[in-house]
Amino acid sequence: MSRRRVRYLGSKIAQVVITLLAVATFNFLLFHVLPGDPVRLQARAGHLQPEDIARLRELYGLDQPLYAQYFVYLRDLLTGNLGTSFSFREPVAELLAQRLLNTVQLLALATVLVILIGIVAGVIAASRRGSRLDASTVVTSLFFWSLPTFWTGLVLIFIFGVYLHWLPISGASTPGAHFKSFWDGAIDSLRHMILPTITLVLVDIGQFVLITRSSLVDVMTEDFILTAKAKGLSRRRVLWGHGVRNALLPVVTASALYVALVIGGAIQVETVFSWPGMGELIYDAVLKRDYPVIEATFLLFAVTVILANFLSDLLYLWIDPRVRNA
Amino acid sequence: MSRWRTSWTLMAGAALVAASCGSSEASPSASALASAAATSSSTVASAPATASGSAAPSASPSAVVPSPTDQPLRIGWLSEPDTMNPLTAATTEAVEVTQLIYDKLMDYGLDLKPEPELASSFTQSADGKSMTFQLRDGVKWHDGQPFTSADVAYTYNLIHDNDLGQYAQFLLNLTGVKTPDALTVELDFSAPQAFNPALVVPIVPKHIWSAMSLKQIEQFRNDKPVGTGPYTLSTKWTSGTPLTITRNAAWWGQLPAPATITWVRYDNSDVMGQGLRSGELDIIPQVPPTVFDGMTGADGVKTVALPSFSFHHIGFNVSTKATSKGNPLLKNVTIRQAIQDAVDRNQLVQLCLAGHGTPGDTIIPAGMADWHLSIPADQQFNANPDKAKQMLNAAGFTDPNNTGVRSSADGKQLAFRLIAINTTDVDVCAAKLVVNAAAAIGVKLELTTLDENTLNDTVYNTDTPNWDMFVWGWDSGALDPSYMLGVPLCSQIGGNNDVFYCNKQYDDQYAQQAVTIDPVARKAITDQMQREYYNDAAYLVMWYQDKLQAYRTDTWANWAQIPGGMVFNFTRDNYLHIVPAR
Repeated sequence: MSRRRVRYLGSKIAQVVITLLAVATFNFLLFHVLPGDPVRLQARAGHLQPEDIARLRELYGLDQPLYAQYFVYLRDLLTGNLGTSFSFREPVAELLAQRLLNTVQLLALATVLVILIGIVAGVIAASRRGSRLDASTVVTSLFFWSLPTFWTGLVLIFIFGVYLHWLPISGASTPGAHFKSFWDGAIDSLRHMILPTITLVLVDIGQFVLITRSSLVDVMTEDFILTAKAKGLSRRRVLWGHGVRNALLPVVTASALYVALVIGGAIQVETVFSWPGMGELIYDAVLKRDYPVIEATFLLFAVTVILANFLSDLLYLWIDPRVRNA
Repeated sequence: MSRWRTSWTLMAGAALVAASCGSSEASPSASALASAAATSSSTVASAPATASGSAAPSASPSAVVPSPTDQPLRIGWLSEPDTMNPLTAATTEAVEVTQLIYDKLMDYGLDLKPEPELASSFTQSADGKSMTFQLRDGVKWHDGQPFTSADVAYTYNLIHDNDLGQYAQFLLNLTGVKTPDALTVELDFSAPQAFNPALVVPIVPKHIWSAMSLKQIEQFRNDKPVGTGPYTLSTKWTSGTPLTITRNAAWWGQLPAPATITWVRYDNSDVMGQGLRSGELDIIPQVPPTVFDGMTGADGVKTVALPSFSFHHIGFNVSTKATSKGNPLLKNVTIRQAIQDAVDRNQLVQLCLAGHGTPGDTIIPAGMADWHLSIPADQQFNANPDKAKQMLNAAGFTDPNNTGVRSSADGKQLAFRLIAINTTDVDVCAAKLVVNAAAAIGVKLELTTLDENTLNDTVYNTDTPNWDMFVWGWDSGALDPSYMLGVPLCSQIGGNNDVFYCNKQYDDQYAQQAVTIDPVARKAITDQMQREYYNDAAYLVMWYQDKLQAYRTDTWANWAQIPGGMVFNFTRDNYLHIVPAR
C-alpha cells in the first residue's frame, strides 16, 4: 500500500473518530435538555412520595449533575455498556440487538433488490436514450418514487391481505403459531416479509433508476467513450467497462446513504406493517423519554452513516483512479 | 389515542394522597361492602366458595359454562406493557396481562360488583377498620408450591412498607397484617376502609420475591412470572413480539375456553382494524371513532359502543401562586364561565367523535350512572354564546375599538394560550372548534400542539405553571366517585390537580363523603361537589367518549357488553367466560 494511500486512510479514520465523539456528545445533550422527564412518567403510576421519586432518580442515575451523567455515559460507552432501558427495564444492548436483527432481516433483501434492479434498469434506459423504453422507464420511476410509502403500504394491505386473503398484513410472524419444523417457521417469516418488501422496492427503486440513468447519459457523451468506440470495442464493453464504471460514482454515494437510512429503520414501512424493528423502538423511546435507548439508537444510526460513508470512500479508492492517485 | 389513554390511566392511578381519612370509598355497586362496614361483622361477598370454586357472575350474558378448548384468542393493542412485574408495572397493558397470571383476593365480576377470588369469604369489623379473609384451600402457585396466608401478608407488607408501585395508595392506612392460620388473613387499618384493597392488589409468591432486595424488586422484569392465575407466561416475552399466555390446567377455578391468549402489537389503528377484518384478530379494544362507522356492518365483525369511565376536558390555570405564569384573567370565574358558554359540546361530539360520545358536564362520567350528576340544560354553561357575551359585557370586558378581542377595564386583552397533544386527533379537533367558538364571543385563543410528555411536563409544573388552558382527559382509575372527585383537592396540588384549583369547602365535603357509608346520603354530598366544581368552571368537560370496541363473530361468542368495555375493563371475567362461536 502506497504511503499516499495510508495517509488517505489515516485521515479518513481520524475523521470517523472525531465525528463519532461529537455525535455521542450531541446525542447526550440533545435528549437531556428536551422537555419531559422519564421518572415523572413512571411516578404517575401511583401514589409516590417525593422520597420515592428521589429513589427512582437514583436508580436511573438521574440524581447526578448533567456533566457527571455525561462522563458516566462516555465511560459506559467505551466499555461497551449501553445501559438499561428505563421503560422496559432490560439491557439496551439486548433490546437493540433484537430490533436491529428484525430491521436488517426485513430490509436486507429490499435493499439489494432496490440497488441491483435500480442500477440495471437505469443502465438499460440510458443505453437506449430517447427510446420509448427509456421514456416509459423514467415516467414509471417518477410515478413510483412519488407514491407515499404509507399509502402504498395500506393499499397493498387492503388488496392482498383483506380482499384477497393471500398474505399476512402485520408483524414478523404469525402470533401464537407453533411450527412443526424450522422450514414452516421460515416460510411464515418470508410470507410476512413479502408485502413490506414490495412496498419498499416500489417506492425506493425510482431514485436508483434515475440517478444511474442520468449519470450514465452524461458519461456516454464524454470523449473517452468516443475513443473507446473508435478503438473498436464492442458496444457492451463500451457501456459496462467504460460507461457504467464511471457512472457508478454518484450511485455508490447514494447507495451508502440508502444503506444508512435502512438501519434507521424504514420507519413508515415498519409502522404500517407493525414490524418490530428499529423505527418502532425509537418512536416508543422518544415518547417515553427512555434516554438510554434513545442515545444508543441514535448513536447506532450515526455509526452506520459514518461507516457507510467510510466504506463508500474506500470504494471510491477502488473505482476512481483520481482518488487513488490524488 | 392509545398513548393518551394509557398514560392517563396511569395518571389517574396517582390518586388521593391527601384524603387520609379512608383514601378510597366503596362504590355504589359495591353496596354489599358498604353496608357491611355499617353493620356489625357481617359476612359479605361470600358467594359459594365450593371446592370447584367457580365464582359465576350474575350478569353473564347467557348461562353458558365455558369448557377448555384448543382455540386461541387474539387481541390487538397499540402499545405494549412495560414489564410483567405486577407491582411496579405502569401501563394498563401490563395490568391487563398480569391480572390473568396473578389472582387477587377479590375481584370485580361481569356486573362490576365484587366477587371472591383467592378469598372464599370476607368480613369487615363493625368499625370498618379490620378486614378478615378466608382463603381458598388447595390453591397452588404455577411452580407447584402451595399458596398460603404468608404470601398475602408478604405482598401487602411489601407494598405498604416500601410505598411500592400504584397499589400503595390503597394501603395508606394499613397498620398490620395478621395470619392466624395458613388460610386466614386479617388486614388492620387506622381508619375505616369502605374501599376494599383486596379488589385491586395482585398477590405475589413469597418464596420467590422475598429473596430479592427492594432495589432488585424495583428493577425486576419478571420474565417468568409465577402466579396463581388462570394463565401462565411460559416463554420470555420481548418487546416487539406478540405476547402469549397459556391456560393453567391446574388453576383452581372453572377452566376458561381459550387455550392461549395472544396480544398483537399494531403501530397503526387503521391496520389493526384491517387485522380484525382479515381474521388476524378476534377482538380489538380500541377503535378510532372515524374508523368505527366504516367497520360497522363488515363481514364477520361486530362493533360495540359502550359507555366509558372517561372524559376529555379543557383545564384552566387557576393557580393562585405568585410565581404562576398563567394569564391572571383566568382566575376570574366569569371569563371561564363565558368561554364554557361559548362552546357547543354537542358539536364537539358530532364532529370530533363522529357522534360516539355524550356531551359532558360534571367530572363524574355519565357511564358511572349511579354517581353522575346531570346538570339541567338551563343551568348549564353550554352552547349559549349570547349569554356569554352578556356576561362579559356586564363584567366590563368589552371591545370598544372593534378589534375582535375584548379587554379588561385596564386594557388587558382576553387572549389565552391553549395547548393540546399533537397525536390525540380528537383533542386537536376539539381545540380548533373551541378556538373558533371563543373568537365568536371576543376571546382570542392561540393553539399550540405538543407531544404528550412535553404537555405533561408543562401542565404539572406546579411552582411556575406557564400555560393558560390545555386539552386532556381522565380515565377513572377506580369504580368509585372519590377517585375523580379527589383530583381538584387543594392537597392534590403537586399531585393530580392539573389546574391548581383549591376550595376549602369542597375539600371538607370530600372528607365528609369519604366517611358517609349510606349511599344515598353520600350521593347528596357528591352531587353538591359536582355542581360546585361545575359552577367554578375550572374544568370544561367536553365529552364522555364511548368505549369503541369490535370483535369477530365467527371465532368467539358470549362477550358480555358492559360499561367500560368487554376487555381492558375493571373485570377480567370476559376472558374467562367466552365460548367458541362454532
